[in-house]
Amino acid sequence: MTGLLWILLYQWFGTLLSQLCLPLPGPIVGMLLLLGHLQVRGEIDASLDKTASCLLHHLPLLLIPPAVGIMTQLEAFLTHGGAILAALLGSLLIGLPLTGGLLQWLMGRRH
Amino acid sequence: MPSALEAGTRHPLFGLLLTLGAYRLALWWQRRSGWCIAQPVLTGTLLVVAALYATGLEYDHYRQTSGPLWLLLGPATVALAVPLYLNLGRIRRRLWPLLITIGVGATANVLLVVLLASRLGAETPLLIALAPKSVTSPIAISLAEGLGGSAALAAVFVMLTGVAGALLAPLLLRMARVESPAARGVALGLNAHAVGTSQALQESREAGGFAALAMSLTGAITALLLPLGGPWLLGRLSGAG
Repeated sequence: MTGLLWILLYQWFGTLLSQLCLPLPGPIVGMLLLLGHLQVRGEIDASLDKTASCLLHHLPLLLIPPAVGIMTQLEAFLTHGGAILAALLGSLLIGLPLTGGLLQWLMGRRH
Repeated sequence: MPSALEAGTRHPLFGLLLTLGAYRLALWWQRRSGWCIAQPVLTGTLLVVAALYATGLEYDHYRQTSGPLWLLLGPATVALAVPLYLNLGRIRRRLWPLLITIGVGATANVLLVVLLASRLGAETPLLIALAPKSVTSPIAISLAEGLGGSAALAAVFVMLTGVAGALLAPLLLRMARVESPAARGVALGLNAHAVGTSQALQESREAGGFAALAMSLTGAITALLLPLGGPWLLGRLSGAG
């Protein structure tokens, strides 16, 4: 229970900060606040660990309802289908070798 | 008098029931087929959309009756701090190479997809939904909504990227002669988030660990930079077009 309490508290606080003064979305501010909390404490208590694993384990389930909204966006999706696929594939064709190669090169230099 | 089907679909928890059923089936198919493309989010979404078309229900009705699931998406996003914290603890030794690669990669991913799509004629709402495509879904959804874009499109683009990235990675990384498990894992987690991470885990535990780390950090870095840099980039593109 304590784990869920912390998570909800940080989400609430994150949303509050996001509405008052930050350009970041509320849940993301909440995530950064919880990260700061963990860095300060230096450990994760069992209840928080359990709640977080449970929520993240079922993440795909939580993502289905937003994705079903594609029904209302079908027109935009289909008219620009070619551009969307080309942009997604193009960025992977460059991004994958670029990042893999860059890290391998940076780590190799240190030996 | 309403028909039995109508009474059933008007139930206030119909959307929840439908989603849980579709998710269960999608998980079963993923385990049975073992295919990378059988992602539960994709198959589950297709099943729900098919069921809604078959019963003639509106998306709004589904949205209202699946309410409990929407409530949990925010807490799940906050919960990402736990794996992020655990991953941060493991990188001290290779801090700079990792931070540079992930910073460059996260920025390049946003720029590449937005510039390519804009060149090909996509307009601002679509560009917003494409920008966070390499980031884990809950963060991508928050970011797209925060910039005034569609959460649904963002969720679908994230899944398409994940599947395509995991499928293309072995070939592309071999062509680029990326052999170190750390570099392969980071490339997978950075470009293809959770789907890439499970692909990396199949290669080796080391690659899987680095993929999880890259996925967490890419999410955090994009979450910090996109809300600040995104409006500027989109403003320049729409101004130039």
